Amino acid sequence: MDYFQKFSSQFRDRIVLLLILNNLVVVVDWGLSDYVFKLTGYWLLLTMLAIPLLTLISLACLSTAYLTKPTKLLWQAILHTVPDSRNIPAPKIESTTLGRELVSTLANNVYQLAIDGARSAISNDQAAKDLHHNEIATKLPVPLLTLDAAGVVTFANPAALHYFEVAETDVIGKDFHLLTSLRFSTIDTFDGWLDNVRNRIISDLHNWQQVSATLATRKTLQFDMAASYSKDDPQNCDVIIAIFDRTKSYKEDDQSLSFIALVVHELRTPISLLLGYIELFEQELNGKLDPELTRFMYQMKSAGQNLASFVTNVLTVARMESNQLELQLTEENWGNIVKQAVDEMQLRARVQGVKIETHIAEGLPTVGANPVTASEVLINLIDNAIKYSHDSKHKTIILSVGLTPDGMVETTVQDFGVGIPASVIPNLFEKFYRNHRNRAQISGTGLGLYLCRKIVEAHEGHIWVQSQDGQGAIFGFTVKPYAALANELKNSNNTDIVHSAHGWIKNHSLYRS
Amino acid sequence: MPPDQNQPSTPIPNPAKVKPRTILSIEDEQFISELYARALTKAGYEVTVEHDGKAGLEMAQTDRYDIILLDLLLPTMHGSEVLKNLRDPHLTPHLHSKIIIMTNFEERQEVRADIERLADAYFVKVDITPNQLVDFLSQIK
Repeated sequence: MDYFQKFSSQFRDRIVLLLILNNLVVVVDWGLSDYVFKLTGYWLLLTMLAIPLLTLISLACLSTAYLTKPTKLLWQAILHTVPDSRNIPAPKIESTTLGRELVSTLANNVYQLAIDGARSAISNDQAAKDLHHNEIATKLPVPLLTLDAAGVVTFANPAALHYFEVAETDVIGKDFHLLTSLRFSTIDTFDGWLDNVRNRIISDLHNWQQVSATLATRKTLQFDMAASYSKDDPQNCDVIIAIFDRTKSYKEDDQSLSFIALVVHELRTPISLLLGYIELFEQELNGKLDPELTRFMYQMKSAGQNLASFVTNVLTVARMESNQLELQLTEENWGNIVKQAVDEMQLRARVQGVKIETHIAEGLPTVGANPVTASEVLINLIDNAIKYSHDSKHKTIILSVGLTPDGMVETTVQDFGVGIPASVIPNLFEKFYRNHRNRAQISGTGLGLYLCRKIVEAHEGHIWVQSQDGQGAIFGFTVKPYAALANELKNSNNTDIVHSAHGWIKNHSLYRS
Repeated sequence: MPPDQNQPSTPIPNPAKVKPRTILSIEDEQFISELYARALTKAGYEVTVEHDGKAGLEMAQTDRYDIILLDLLLPTMHGSEVLKNLRDPHLTPHLHSKIIIMTNFEERQEVRADIERLADAYFVKVDITPNQLVDFLSQIK
């Protein structure tokens, strides 16, 4: 206020000074024109008018400059603090003389206000980022978790705690994997994504469908999941995970699987009986049946075995489709698995008059395989080869096992049957696909090769076919040596890795007994 | 047609040398239990058959059997419950019997893993003929 009074008095003084000056000029002008130049008439009148007028104009300009300068400086100071007008420089307050203190004080006040405003904006921003104080994050009915760069949980909203049935203290500061073990429906897993983006990308967004988790209470949750990654997040929220519960809708799929399991049970019971009785007849009627009846008996046994494999195929496909097939890959002697599968298929080959030749290379490495499903692949491929050798003159199947140049263990099943036209090969491993030309002659459902592909892929192997119409066919697939798999396990820091039908499943063991 | 060379040969223990082992078969499908009992008896085992879950549990708890063949889908008590009871030291202390699950019902994988952990062996019936079962049991110590 003092500065304003000082400014007012300065302003008043200058106006008074200007008026005195103006009067002086008029007096001087009158004196000069009358006594010195002795002007008369029009000239005297013109001078008397012009000189004071010019003086007034120049004084007006001068005073205006004096008056507007402080205003201009304040205008500059205000605009300088507006975020969008930062290109306007700070005013040079020392350049003014009139009201310098007032302008300087006001400008400083403006700056202070601007600084306070910015500070409060920053603290609001921080409060928004600190999810514990963020109302949207805490009230969101969707489970939300954040992880830091090391995968440690930094925030879990009440919905997440409720969903996973845990207390905040059980989660915050703990490794995310300790919260629950996630199972993914494809090879595209959360850990795989994170490993990938962490090393290459600054930020990313990804989502997964049909993820499942089993809680400590053994309750299974199924959900879709979305995650964002932002490298070196200052709030330690490098990863933000949102979970969308789908337990109910995915459970309906489970119920259809339970139905299939029940049907499979009902089908298997009579097949078990049938095979049991045939075995009994085989033993106790040996030598008492004529050759034709003996042949019928073996055909009956072969048909029973065939049906049993088919029923198992149906169940395996149903499980795979509903994401409930987990393959535990263990160290196996591949040669033994192949020999067992061939043994199991010998009877079916014999009743069709087909011979199986087996060539297993020496010194093969052990493989990482799930013996039950890997046998299903072998049985399906051998079974196909038997069926398609039907009209062949050369009724032999050659089964070979060896190493590929890139160190995979490869198994091939070759037949000399009708072969496969080039046009149908691309669809051969699809579900329910059958070679239409052979549909009438050869029984089958179109599930077998689809199943083979899925199982081989779950073993991280590759399945292929080579054929020419009328020239027979070679089906081949690879499985990984156990050493290569063990190496993967080592690199992924997981001691317990299960492969799903579609990809890796990492089982973390906190809540697993 | 030559006889099937690939069936496992059935070793028939000589009763004079080997003490007959006792088997309790808890199996509700009458014909299947009959088939197993026939093959096992021929192989020298003493077989008792029970069709009911609860009654089977009570018999198993007497610990008079070396081997228990246990089905899962059973009347009155599910096979997995029978198994849990038998493996619970408070309910069944000091059971010496080996428990072998024989089922055609495919449980969910995690349920099956739980059952397998408690049992000594787990078979899908359709995958194992009576003679193959006898062959397997002869290897159990």
